[in-house]
Amino acid sequence: MNPGTPAVALDARLRELDTGDGPFAPALVAKLDREEAFPDAACQALESFGLGAHYVPTRHGGRLAHYPELVALWRTVARRDLTAAIGHGKTFLGGACTWVGGSPEQAVALGQDVARGARVSWGLTERHHGSDLLAGELSATRTVDGRWRLNGEKWLINNATRGELISVLARTDANGGPRGFSVFLVDKRQLPPSAFRCLPKERTHGIRGADISGIAFTDADVPDTALVGKAGGGIELVLKALQLTRTVAVAMSLGAADQALRLTVDFAKEHQLYERRLVDLPRARRPLGEAATQLLLAEAVSTVASRALHALTPEASLTSALTKAFVPTVINEMISQLADLMGARSFLSDVYAHGLFQKVERDHRIIAIFDGSTLVNRNAVINQFPVLVRAFRQERRDADGLATATTLGAPLPEADLSRLGLVSTAGCSVVQGLPAAVLRLQSLVEQGALPKAVADLAHALKRATDAVHQRMAAQPPSPRDVPPEAFHLAEHYEACFAGAACVHLWLNHVERAPEGSLWRDALWLEACLVRVLSRLTPEAPPGDPGVFDRLADVVVDTAGVFSLLADARTEGAS
Amino acid sequence: MPSLPSAEALSSWLSSRIATYVQRRPEDIRADVPLADYGLDSVYALTLAGDLEDHLGLSLDPTLMWDHPTIAGLTQALLQVLASAA
Repeated sequence: MNPGTPAVALDARLRELDTGDGPFAPALVAKLDREEAFPDAACQALESFGLGAHYVPTRHGGRLAHYPELVALWRTVARRDLTAAIGHGKTFLGGACTWVGGSPEQAVALGQDVARGARVSWGLTERHHGSDLLAGELSATRTVDGRWRLNGEKWLINNATRGELISVLARTDANGGPRGFSVFLVDKRQLPPSAFRCLPKERTHGIRGADISGIAFTDADVPDTALVGKAGGGIELVLKALQLTRTVAVAMSLGAADQALRLTVDFAKEHQLYERRLVDLPRARRPLGEAATQLLLAEAVSTVASRALHALTPEASLTSALTKAFVPTVINEMISQLADLMGARSFLSDVYAHGLFQKVERDHRIIAIFDGSTLVNRNAVINQFPVLVRAFRQERRDADGLATATTLGAPLPEADLSRLGLVSTAGCSVVQGLPAAVLRLQSLVEQGALPKAVADLAHALKRATDAVHQRMAAQPPSPRDVPPEAFHLAEHYEACFAGAACVHLWLNHVERAPEGSLWRDALWLEACLVRVLSRLTPEAPPGDPGVFDRLADVVVDTAGVFSLLADARTEGAS
Repeated sequence: MPSLPSAEALSSWLSSRIATYVQRRPEDIRADVPLADYGLDSVYALTLAGDLEDHLGLSLDPTLMWDHPTIAGLTQALLQVLASAA
């Protein structure tokens, strides 16, 4: 991390609060989880730090200039307590529709409220409809005096009870349909008590202290100024806002991965087996290196995707869905691999490190579910297969945008949210730029700047990516029931995206590669490509699995957070 | 700039495209029936924008499919976009 960024300042502040009887001290975090109690003091500390202002774009008076910075901030909180990170971070999600589609007056007013500590929740889902937004029944109808009257219920809503405001997706045309819904920013403080009722907190497997509840409106009248965007524009608005939230939400996975890796490495260093430290046993090194590689892949993907919100904005319908499907999935896998190393201690709730490992393992499950599950996101990618196939064949790409998204030091333009689109008619530049990037890698081998073995892996990725596109091209259209094969292909496309993101990132830093053992001989790139190829070509995965042992050496020697970005100079990132 | 397609040509191109998506015969797709009635999911319908961009060589707002949910309506809207782009 670079000195002077907000994430570094937040980390310094939290270091003072995560020991003794501080609000982020492991013992307290574990106790609140056992008691299913909300982390009030922790969220209060985040508020005092001024985290809320980072949820408000600068153009509306806040401090959110770069989305990678928000990722870095949330990751810093999440590696200490996911419950607090999710409980506090929800306000960004609640505000997202207003940032994307609200009027300047609405956005500035909400920004001031959020900076003063107001909590905003996001009411999308309903009890009987899950993630099918078009099935929502909560209604808003025009009143004779030009207001809107809300009736109905939103359920499984984070902070529905604790929040002062809630963005609600409401049916404004009885017939529904894609133009039959609108978003309202409802200020609970302005409603009479009879107009709404908060539903009881649901008990959950992870993030047990979180306020996962709901809200029911009964003839709740809101002014016309509560309407965000156009009447009938709600589905479009929500789908665009989700592109922001899905991209940054994976910060929660990165933080969880940081915590799980730190707990495991510390344990493996102190635990003795056969008169040796666990961490020195080859059978521990290999999985440790593999697990750490998953974190590097997740980090590369979330870095590129959060930069892409600025640099490849019209492609965000894809980059956000790919990221939200890929990152929580690989981090779930990573945490299971680490759990094997932790053995019984991954399972015991008060024997080792206050049972934080089993807490993070439980807590993290929600990340692959909320804000669009892995299946929902894969479906969004499947819908765009035809354009992806065409654009890949033509090697079409936004070369400047791609360079900015994958060059950590490149200045980021302001994210112009009016350029978000429901589909990306340009496809995905990160993947479409892979063939050209592989050619560049080849010339680096000839100059002696890259081991040939790593360039061979990149070639193998290119061949696998060609094959994935051929299979995508052969998929019949699936407007209703999506076959399992399509989901499998979407998963493979994610792996191509992740591998391509790594190749671009490495290439754009080879000239002035950061010092440090991760970058030497392209170690991290080699590990990530071997991992991605083992998914894409499981029958004969190329590469040397020993790369994971070499990577494990770096993991064990890393004192702070294990990160690709640690040594790299970045713009607006950790 | 290619010459503007006729309403008939555009309409029949749309019918055959949509017929492929919903796996029916083009002659079964009526121009005045909302596409959702043929089982074309509204989010999936956005995909058609990519096909149209390729076919017509101009950039479109995908939500055109939502504002004009029948082939007849979509054809008229597209002709307007084409005319103003010409």
